[in-house]
Amino acid sequence: MSDRTIWLSCGVVSAEMEELQRRGLIEGELLFLDSMLHMDPQKLEAQLTATLEQIMVGCGCLVLVYGDCSARMLDLVRSYHAGRVAVINCAQLLVGRDRYRQLMGEKAFLVLPEWARRWEQIMKNELGLNRAVAHDLMGEHCGILVYLDTGLLPVPEQQLQEFSSYTGLPWRIEAVSLDTMLANLLAAQEDACSHRQHEEPA
Amino acid sequence: MMNSKDWSDKLLVTMINADRSGAAEIIERTLATGIEARQVIAEILDPAIVQLGRLWEEETMSLAQNFVASKIAEDTLLRCIPNMTAHPHSKGALVIGNIEDDFHSLGRKAVGLFLVAAGWDVHDLGNDVPAEELLEKALEVDACVIGVSAMMQTTALNIRKLRQLIDKRGLAHRIKLAVGGAVFNWRPDLVAEVGGDGTAHNAVGADELFMRLQAEVLRGKAL
Repeated sequence: MSDRTIWLSCGVVSAEMEELQRRGLIEGELLFLDSMLHMDPQKLEAQLTATLEQIMVGCGCLVLVYGDCSARMLDLVRSYHAGRVAVINCAQLLVGRDRYRQLMGEKAFLVLPEWARRWEQIMKNELGLNRAVAHDLMGEHCGILVYLDTGLLPVPEQQLQEFSSYTGLPWRIEAVSLDTMLANLLAAQEDACSHRQHEEPA
Repeated sequence: MMNSKDWSDKLLVTMINADRSGAAEIIERTLATGIEARQVIAEILDPAIVQLGRLWEEETMSLAQNFVASKIAEDTLLRCIPNMTAHPHSKGALVIGNIEDDFHSLGRKAVGLFLVAAGWDVHDLGNDVPAEELLEKALEVDACVIGVSAMMQTTALNIRKLRQLIDKRGLAHRIKLAVGGAVFNWRPDLVAEVGGDGTAHNAVGADELFMRLQAEVLRGKAL
């Protein structure tokens, strides 16, 4: 069995995963699924399962770079003896548990770089939120839009401004290093590889 | 003339289409026709929520659609509650909250509103509440049930800590643990796994569940 790691990741952090690989901080093969699958839980689970079935054979360590994005995420982890980043969502993967809690206390709506470019498609087409409803809903639950800037893509200021105008929320940028994400990834990889070793025949 | 089922079907369509103002208009129209607020909740809102739950379980609705639909349900309850005559006697105190690390407040808020409407004295501690805090509040207000919500599988597992605390302090006969949230509908086995004493499929069933758990506590005291 190969000891190569396969990272099956949500596309929302593809730029960050590729950057970590480019820097030599993570090794192995990167596989991404479209982040829009989050809009359809059934499809997300089906596609994750199908991909896991395909890559299982001969796979050394398998790490899911997903939060708690599906009701059966932990079942998938168990069934395929995979590791998984110990976070509830992709924003927590980037900022860590403590900072995430602070941001939630601030009623922040966290915007990832990849998501920012798709805000209009998601809000209008996927959620069917017109400006008035978006204004009401976001205003009731959130106080500010916080763009998590991982420094890999130019800050999409115009899109953020438009999103801000659409929701009626102010916005700001929070610089995020990839250190927290890397630590989460490596912990998940270690977990996955130790599972594998325990299962290897003597 | 439209009957309750027709109104409920129309309300469901607005929920699916995330048409919040359309939903509000339906509720206003039903109240204007003289339908009692309690009847609006029981015969128009409740069936729509139950239907919505089915769609959610079949996974034909996205999390986001459900988010908007839940807000519509909340709007409806808030609109109807002031029209309802107050309950002469409180059914008792309850504590509710989302367990530590869980930030999905919609379901919990809806449950809270339904419970208030049903006559409970509800202490809602909000999101991301540590097990210790839930238990301390329950003891402070003499609640017989703690209702804990979790949206996803990993956060649901954090409820186990509350179960352990209740048991460790010998309070299992005095405080029951109700658990709820989307993941428990998908995974009923999870109720036992986290040590829940019961669950309800949706906010509509919360009153019945809490009444049942309260009765268990009272039966225990009588023995």
